Parts: sequence; C-alpha cells; structure tokens
Amino acid sequence: MLDVIKPLVLGFLFGWALHKAGLTHYARIVNVYRFRDMTVMRFMLTALVVGAFAIQVGLDAGFAASAPVPPTSVLANLVGGVVFGVGMATAGYCPGTVVAEAGEGRLDAWVAGLSGLLVGAMVFGLLQPLVMPTLSRVGSYGRITFAGLTGASPWLVLLVFAQAVALVLLLIGRIVRASESSPPQ
Amino acid sequence: MARRPFGAWLREKTWSPYAAGALLGLVVAYSEVFCGRPLAASGAFDKLAAYPGRWLFPSSQYYRYVMSPGITWQVWLVVGLLAGSFASSRLSGEARWRWLPDTQWQERYGPSRALRLGIAFVGAVLVQVGAGIAGGCTSGLAISGGAALSPGAFVFMAGMFAGGIPAAWLWYRGRAG
Repeated sequence: MLDVIKPLVLGFLFGWALHKAGLTHYARIVNVYRFRDMTVMRFMLTALVVGAFAIQVGLDAGFAASAPVPPTSVLANLVGGVVFGVGMATAGYCPGTVVAEAGEGRLDAWVAGLSGLLVGAMVFGLLQPLVMPTLSRVGSYGRITFAGLTGASPWLVLLVFAQAVALVLLLIGRIVRASESSPPQ
Repeated sequence: MARRPFGAWLREKTWSPYAAGALLGLVVAYSEVFCGRPLAASGAFDKLAAYPGRWLFPSSQYYRYVMSPGITWQVWLVVGLLAGSFASSRLSGEARWRWLPDTQWQERYGPSRALRLGIAFVGAVLVQVGAGIAGGCTSGLAISGGAALSPGAFVFMAGMFAGGIPAAWLWYRGRAG
C-alpha cells in the first residue's frame, strides 16, 4: 500500500513544482535552447544543488547506506542526450512536462505527447538490441560518483559543485536578463 | 517576503523557479534516501509500453528478457505528477482544455492543430528514444542522477544542449521572435 501512496505523493509534489515553475509551456522549454528564457535552468540547477545537499545530509544521518546512482556510460549518455535534446527543442516536451501539460488540460499533450512517449518507448525497445551493445562499449564506468572517482569527501565535491552552479546561474543572468519573457508566452 | 495567507501562495500562477526548484530538490532527496529510487518520469512509459510492445513484437529480445510490463512505483509516480499539475493549475485558475501552445508557437507555426499534433508526436518519440538510450530523462538522469553526483548525468545534460541548440536554431532560423 505504501508502495502506491508514496510515489503518488512524491509525484504530486513533482507535478506541483513543474507547474508552479512555469514549465508547462512550449516556449519555456524551447527558449532554453535559444538562450532566451533560463527559467528551466534556474529550476533544474536549484533542484540539483538542494537535492544533492539533502541527500548527503540524509546519508550522513544514517537514513540510508547509499543513494541510487545511475550508471555512467559516456557514449550512451551523450548520444541519448543529443536525441533527447532534439526532441525537446522540437516539441517543447520532456517526459515529465508532457504529463504536467496533460494535467493542465493541454490536449496536444494528451493526444500526441503521451502516445508519442509510448511509441518512442517501443521504438527504443526495437533499437535496444541493435545499438546498445555498441554504445555501451565506450566509456562505461558503472554506478560511479564524482566523490568515488576522485576519492574526495562528498562534502568537498558538493561545495565545488554548489560554487560551479552559482557561477553558471550568475552567467545565465548576465546573458539573458534583457530578453527574458517574464510571463510565459 | 511580505506576509500573505498560505492559500494565496498555493493559488499563485507561478513561483520563483528557485522556490519550485528547492521543493523538487527535497522531493528528489526524499525519494532517493527514503525510497531508494530516482524520481524518474520516463521509466513509467517503458513499463506501460511493454504491454502492447510484448504483444506486437513477440520475438523481440528486449521485451522477452529486458523490459517487463507492470503498474510499478514509477507508474504511480507519473499518476501523482498528473494530479499535482492539475491541482496546481486548477488552484491558480489555469486548468482548461486547449489544443495549442501559447503565442510563440502560433506565431511560428500558425493555428493548425494537425501541425501541432504531428510535431508534438515526433518530438515526444525522440524524447523517449533518447531517454532510453541515455538511461533516463531530465528527471531520472539529469536531476536525480545529478543530485547523486553521477558524472553520467552531466554528460547527458551536455548532450541535451548539443542536440537542442542546433534543433532550435533550425526551427527558428531567420526569425526574430
């Protein structure tokens, strides 16, 4: 029962955050790639830093032995990212925001977005045996982290990471402040 | 911050992206520390598509050995996501049925519903294929993996920009808007 309630509650807050951040707009997503609206970057990078610190606090407090780390497979991560970015800049969607747009009543997300994700999942299913053995041959390191890779304390990695994110946010502010569309268009 | 009733805050159309991002960060951390799972949206579609996929492609290695269908944790997460976005937009008075994105789309592509559905469908297919190849999407790999300080998450984000910037440039080539 908790295995249903917990993801429902977490998903609810996830959808709430996506909508309140204004990410249910085609222009908000596409304009990231045109350097005209960096709301998505501000939202994502804040989530990354807050999440990373909160996870480390949780681990240090002994609530879990480790966090789930996705495998690093450089070529697959990169090629997948490129295909993903092309799709995102084309439709103004990512899997989470398609669902958030559907929740807001957008019929293109219900009709084309959700069906496209399901068809895309099947296309990947057919491609997987053909492409993944090759792609995962290059630069596969398994479930590594920066801390594990460098042997540094995770807190030191977090501090460097937070500083890098602060710098990126500062630069983003400089670049797009003039052209940013404040109400989503 | 000026004092204002909690209800008014819930009904606001948008929050600062920093506030909404901090909320998402805490949700990601809870999911990873207390549930042992990334907060991932794309996985649900792999699980759901395995129902028709297994039936349509009975000899597929992927559907035989790798991906089994199921109403899993990830699927319930996406159901919650739908409800959360509905609740937030309903409270802020923005939930309504509509076919087209707002002004920028219509200025670029015009009022055709069929064109929006066609481009949205192709984009959604690419997004899910890309997530499959990379091993996750914006939420499951970039944000959840990035918060766990996985190098792969940052490689994926670099790839997103490497694909997204030229694609957006092609779609908007020669346009001022």
